[in-house]
Amino acid sequence: MRHYTLPVSPKTVHWGYFSKAVTPALTLKSGDRATIETLTHHANDDYERMIRDDPGAEAVFRWTREEKPVWRRGAGSVEPPFTYGPGEGLGVHLMTGPVAIEGAEPGDVLEVRVLDVRPRPSCSACYAGRCFGSNASANWGFHYHDLIEEPKPREVVTIYELDTSGEPVAKPVYNYVWTPQTDPDGVVHPTIDYPGVRVDHALVQHRENILPGVRVPARLHFGTMGLAPSEAEFVSTIPPNYTGGNIDDWRIGKGVRMYYPVAVEGAFFSVGDPHAAQGDSELNGTAIETSLTGDFEFILHKRDDLEGTILEGLDHPLLENDRQWSVYGFTFPNYLQTLGPEGQATVAEHASLDLAMRDAFRKLRRFLMTTRGFSEDEAVSLMSVAADFGITQVVDANWGVHGSIRKDLFT
Amino acid sequence: MLRAGQVGMPVTRFQSEAYPSEQRDRAWLDFLDGIGLQEIAPGRGTGPGTGPGAGAGKGASQAAGYRSGLAHGGAPGLMLARLSIPGGCLAPVARRGGAPLILLPLDETVEIRRGDDGLSLRSGELGLLPVDPGWHIRLLRDGRAICVTLPEAQLSGRRSPNTGLAAPRAFQREGMAAVFAAAVETAAAEIERLQHGDWATLAQQLSDLFFGLPAQAAPDGNRGPGAGLIGRVSQRIEAHLTDSELSAEAVSRMEGISERYLQRLFRETGETFTQYLRERRLQRARTMLSVPGETEVPVANIAYNCGFGDAANFSRLFKQRFGQPPGAYRASIGEARREDEGGVENRGWPMDALTRFQPRLAWSDGVRRTVSDEVSNTPGPPGQVHHLKVDASTVHWGYFSRALAPVLSVRPGDQVIIETLTQHATDAPELMIAGDPAAEEIFYWDGRRKGIDRRGAGPQDASVFGRGAGEGFGVHICTGPIHIEGAEPGDVVEVHIDELAPRPSRAPGHEGRIFGSHVSAWWGYQYSDLLTAPNPRETVSIFEILPDAGEAGQAELLYSYRWAEQTDPFGVTHATYDYPGIPVRPGAVAIDPAPERPLRVPLRPHFGVIGLAPREENLIDSIPPAYFGGNIDNWRLGRGASVYLPVSVSGALLSIGDPHAAQGDGELAGTAIECSMTGRITIRLHKRGAPIANVSYPLIETPEAWVLTGFSHPDYLSEFGKKGLSEVYAKSSLDLAMRDAFRKARRFLMVRGGLSEDHAIAQISAAVDFGVTQVVDGNLGIHAIIPKSLLPDIKE
Repeated sequence: MRHYTLPVSPKTVHWGYFSKAVTPALTLKSGDRATIETLTHHANDDYERMIRDDPGAEAVFRWTREEKPVWRRGAGSVEPPFTYGPGEGLGVHLMTGPVAIEGAEPGDVLEVRVLDVRPRPSCSACYAGRCFGSNASANWGFHYHDLIEEPKPREVVTIYELDTSGEPVAKPVYNYVWTPQTDPDGVVHPTIDYPGVRVDHALVQHRENILPGVRVPARLHFGTMGLAPSEAEFVSTIPPNYTGGNIDDWRIGKGVRMYYPVAVEGAFFSVGDPHAAQGDSELNGTAIETSLTGDFEFILHKRDDLEGTILEGLDHPLLENDRQWSVYGFTFPNYLQTLGPEGQATVAEHASLDLAMRDAFRKLRRFLMTTRGFSEDEAVSLMSVAADFGITQVVDANWGVHGSIRKDLFT
Repeated sequence: MLRAGQVGMPVTRFQSEAYPSEQRDRAWLDFLDGIGLQEIAPGRGTGPGTGPGAGAGKGASQAAGYRSGLAHGGAPGLMLARLSIPGGCLAPVARRGGAPLILLPLDETVEIRRGDDGLSLRSGELGLLPVDPGWHIRLLRDGRAICVTLPEAQLSGRRSPNTGLAAPRAFQREGMAAVFAAAVETAAAEIERLQHGDWATLAQQLSDLFFGLPAQAAPDGNRGPGAGLIGRVSQRIEAHLTDSELSAEAVSRMEGISERYLQRLFRETGETFTQYLRERRLQRARTMLSVPGETEVPVANIAYNCGFGDAANFSRLFKQRFGQPPGAYRASIGEARREDEGGVENRGWPMDALTRFQPRLAWSDGVRRTVSDEVSNTPGPPGQVHHLKVDASTVHWGYFSRALAPVLSVRPGDQVIIETLTQHATDAPELMIAGDPAAEEIFYWDGRRKGIDRRGAGPQDASVFGRGAGEGFGVHICTGPIHIEGAEPGDVVEVHIDELAPRPSRAPGHEGRIFGSHVSAWWGYQYSDLLTAPNPRETVSIFEILPDAGEAGQAELLYSYRWAEQTDPFGVTHATYDYPGIPVRPGAVAIDPAPERPLRVPLRPHFGVIGLAPREENLIDSIPPAYFGGNIDNWRLGRGASVYLPVSVSGALLSIGDPHAAQGDGELAGTAIECSMTGRITIRLHKRGAPIANVSYPLIETPEAWVLTGFSHPDYLSEFGKKGLSEVYAKSSLDLAMRDAFRKARRFLMVRGGLSEDHAIAQISAAVDFGVTQVVDGNLGIHAIIPKSLLPDIKE
């Protein structure tokens, strides 16, 4: 077993897409561990608190008229002219990786254990050692066309400070309404439509001392974690799919074991979209987005060894922790197959919880029948009296419902 | 009753992952067969877990690749399908008729082959495939395609060079071929959103466009003058169908040919011009009669619009051709559509029955209105403890009503020890009823008499389905109602659950043990989506409750059985679990013993139903929950929790029932572990103006959190009016329930927490968990859980 370290840098991140074509940032063997840094793509909502003087973050977010080391952001067009910018923001998450696993082949399953998760302290002189995050009530949120107060519609950014002195909590610091921001290339962003645009705080109005006494329980986790799909060279990070990705389940934190079906040689694992807290549904479009560092262990399960294990027949992401197993239902279990590559842009038009619930039901039934040997009647009965279905997210285009079954049923 | 799928043909969906790997191949072939296709060579695919040898050790079947499809209908009617195929060969199933298989590849080049014959279709091109044996489609790798077959009824008699093909044809995407292809693509993209009546319209429109396709698909656009003539004549006729004066003479003049030549063209096809024209007019009329938006258009107008000069003549011809007169045909389509919309998965009133009966139900027969002794007692000092036992005089079964006389009157602050019975006790009467005098009385049923006759809000004479009095439109045995002194509309009643204990069996040999029943029922989410035979089926599982096992008690599976047709003591047979309280006698079903390894489920004791009388006059079905509470089915409503309910009528009229020993979020298969229980509750009254009295829906408070109940239709009785008891079952969705839960959470944080909208929304995203309450109670539910730590300032 070896333990690697993967810091963030323009060479170790890819922004807004999964890709089987990117050179791996790290190659390791089954059983190896790695400490991996991740950055939130919302750090520029407050550059002073979340980027300034942090060498890794400074390098990744650098963007001047002359220089933009991480040029492509999204799986969209890289041929000018651009509407939003290179990659067109079709996919927004800043991903560290890919991590290639030696010997991984399609048909295998990659297990990723999250051994620990830690917030990334600010390096800025004024805030050194403190940890901050940003929540954006964004244009892709469930609420956006259903607002009651003026002005409508609007996007609102709330900055939180993470307090880990006791039971970890997030405390609101201030908020502001998004105003049109001009990036160094001269493109104006009237809404949050391209990741990593630095907000000019002279152009927004801070509302301080908000929500006195309010404490949000922290749930440190990674919103986006998964493997490169096989269907296309560049795939948006926004819709979650059969190889994982932007699942946005707050249970994907310390102590979790995630299982993903391998779609390409080497598996190509990437992690990003770190969150300090999120509720089931991620209603307004984002969590409290906070840079985090995690310790991971990778275990490759070869396809010939899956029979008779909980991984038999697995063709979707699966969560395991001390308490439960969860399967993830989506509007489309593999939207790239169902809708074709253009699905990256169009899957949101089909978003439906009813279809996601149907998918979650079928996946959990399959899981119970295949891995526990239940008859269909036993599986269905058990799901009615002991499985809990929850809303994972209603903001990631391919909407999610998770079905969870507790382990204490089987002891 | 018609099954979904028999009429209206909803969209069927296939995804290989939905099935255990060893069943995928068979399920895929079944799916294809349903749309008139067969797989003659499977594809291998290139995706994960689908590649050659994926999951090796599970047998060859797992080698087949990822497959998915969405489809509507099948030959000889309209068939429209969107398929993802991992390569391989497909062919139409042999059938009569001349309608070709229309093919539109979306990704990859597709070949149409028979032996060495055939052609290639590039992505986006349009192909026509003869239905003659031997012709098939070949995909070399993963790809998506749209397949269409037009209804024979639309094509029959119409002359086109593109029906009855002997060889395949390909069309470049230009001219009418491009228009037709775009229409097909749009229809395929919208396949899930099309309503029943849309399909008839679509069949007509696509057929009309199809007849616009050129005669020959020569790449240079060179159309032979003779070959296209019959097609052009056909189009002329379609364009002038409304003209009652249309004649062979007129058509030949338009085409610039002689009438004799025209008549000869038709004779060669075995039919005269007049016969052809009449057939087309009748087909057009039939389509118009089946369009739901035109049910108000008089039949005579449709006759004129289709070129019939005389409505009586039209009726006669229509009956000759289709076997029933136009009015009757339209009524049968409408009936089928209603059955389709509210068919097998619908537990509520059929719409037409609702219209017929509801006016009479305001003060309905069979409803208990006797005032029990307890009520006439002068209430004692506040804080009194009442004991409300179950018997035939203290329960109402399957409905809520403001017309019910109260069985107990309490003051705010009083406690009530309230007994409740599960309506599923009859699933194992020898365990759950025998020896218990109250249960024996309530469930009593012999050839002459039932302990409680009315079960449900339906007609007392069972004149809708004949299941029994009340028709089972509502199933829960509710104890109450309890009159709460001083409660007025605008107030809120709080019901706090202090204690909740299961009701021990008094059956000989089982005294002191506790039993419960779970039914995977026909109203469950799984019922129309089962994998294994017999399909469909209902299954009953009997559990023993072990309150001291595990951390918080467990339920252990004792045995199960498949529901078999039961004949009730009145002689009515129940092929499905369609009426509550049908006694299942030992020997009437085949018992499956428990598995060798015990199956145990952690307990979550709670009341499924807690509700106040609704404001509406009629009897209200107990199944769909709404603003007044009712069948909330949230397992968090157990010991230590409270529910706040808005008062609609003077005295509030509280009823409690549907006790559950355990349930998951979703209540997926239709029921929980249903188990009779006794609770000790404290009733509080919050007068109008108190902060909590702002609540307009059932609000649950647990020691840790506020749980807000969102519904697909939060006030379905107001929203749909008189049709509500039927519509709520037909028009419910999780997407709507999520919208309601979000709005309630926002309002709660703004009004109760004093937050601005922006702050409320940020807090919801960061800290509020949304879960699926139930998908089986007609009015689907999603709840929002707001941790109390989020709002330190709220105190009651």
